[in-house]
Amino acid sequence: MVICVLLARFALVAALGERRALLAEPVALAPEAGGPQIVGEVSAAAEAFGVQAGMRLGEALARCPGLRLVPPDPDGVRSLWSELLDRLERIGASVESDRAGQAFFEAAGLTGIHGGNLEGVLASTRRTLAGRDLGGAGRGARIGVAPSRFSAYAAALRARPRRAAEIVSAGAVRAFLAPLPVRLMRSRPELATLPETLERLGILTLGELAQLPAPAMAERFGHPGLLALDLARGRDTPLQPRRPAEPVVERLALPEAASGPQLEHALVLLIARLLARPERRGRSMRSLTLSARFVEGGTWRAPVTLRQASADPDRLRIVLTPKLSELPAPAESIAVEVEAFGPPAREQARLLDERGSVESRRERIGEAVRQARQAAGSDAALRVLAIDPDSRLPERRAVLAPFPAELSDGEERRR
Amino acid sequence: VSGLHRLGTPRRATVHAGPGGVPTTVGRTRVEAVNEDWVVEDRWWTGRPLRRRYFELVMVDGRNVVVFLDLVSGRWFSQRG
Repeated sequence: MVICVLLARFALVAALGERRALLAEPVALAPEAGGPQIVGEVSAAAEAFGVQAGMRLGEALARCPGLRLVPPDPDGVRSLWSELLDRLERIGASVESDRAGQAFFEAAGLTGIHGGNLEGVLASTRRTLAGRDLGGAGRGARIGVAPSRFSAYAAALRARPRRAAEIVSAGAVRAFLAPLPVRLMRSRPELATLPETLERLGILTLGELAQLPAPAMAERFGHPGLLALDLARGRDTPLQPRRPAEPVVERLALPEAASGPQLEHALVLLIARLLARPERRGRSMRSLTLSARFVEGGTWRAPVTLRQASADPDRLRIVLTPKLSELPAPAESIAVEVEAFGPPAREQARLLDERGSVESRRERIGEAVRQARQAAGSDAALRVLAIDPDSRLPERRAVLAPFPAELSDGEERRR
Repeated sequence: VSGLHRLGTPRRATVHAGPGGVPTTVGRTRVEAVNEDWVVEDRWWTGRPLRRRYFELVMVDGRNVVVFLDLVSGRWFSQRG
């Protein structure tokens, strides 16, 4: 069985921090700096005025003139959510979470260490989420239990905050899902647009969807159609638990007027400090995040995945510097965090330049080609012949052609 | 042409695709990130049209891998550029 933990308005709760009491009033997350002018998550009081997440700022303020806007804090959301996930992992759960406020884990392996039954696991989950050090962020969790990720999510939506979990057994899952609207599948990013099409075709509930034949769904909607069918029938893809994070962050406070060149110097310094961290243990860096805390409040994050993992400070600087220009507001501090390490760094500079060695290198290559051909025949030494180097199909770009004797002895020497 | 070996010929690959048809594992190695994806349509004027959806992937073990889904046969291949 899969357990789903849902925390509504998590980004708003995290951004409010100590001012959580404001949730009782109409508040909304302000538009992200540099992003479209739409409000983020909104409180229940704001919803009562007709304000919804994703609504344009002007319309939200027109509907609720007393709406208070809170600067978004993606950094805060991330750290609070990762603290909650850490706590769940401490009770033994292998947690999958693609979105802050939503976590899934299998109950199967946990019953043995929490009283031998599902109730024991749920009680431990509740206890760990209600920890005081989290400032009550996890107390309003809704918990659903069902055989698959999607059905557990649907069950959690039906559960009430701080009350008993909604449990759907394997035998009852299809009946449980049947009356629910297909709109529920919007929670899956890959199926975000499918429910609208289904509704236009007159398929309004998951029960109606579950009765459609798989070949027809595949023909009409392709892979998303088959996935939707699986979800409606109570099946889902296996959970993919997150890998334990290794937080390695370097942060630097900035003088008030830090701009272009100063920011770049700060970045160089941060990279140098990051490379010197003992936790790196000689590994290269695969993925990094540049983040900033703004003078006016709020935070910003820009993730960067390197094409080739590297521990070369120049290369890291080249990759991260363009992100600095995307900073939407003056920052009081910037930070670089390693999201994922790559393999151990093997790039090493040459100790000595091999000056004047071109001729001798050619001679060595020519000799090697002759010896290889003597030992293993003419196919032992081949050359790459570019045929259509700009072709969109890699197999048409080059071929391996035999090395003609006159080339190995003559042309190769000339090169 | 006799004596020529093509470089970068596609090889069959075991790819598990997740939601949206995006690869999640290649062989037994998990995909860390998708750098790029693109579609190539060629020879559409012949009897053997070629339609491929390419993905340039970063694997958890640090390798960069290019795979494509042959949209005609529905099979996955890996390829070196």
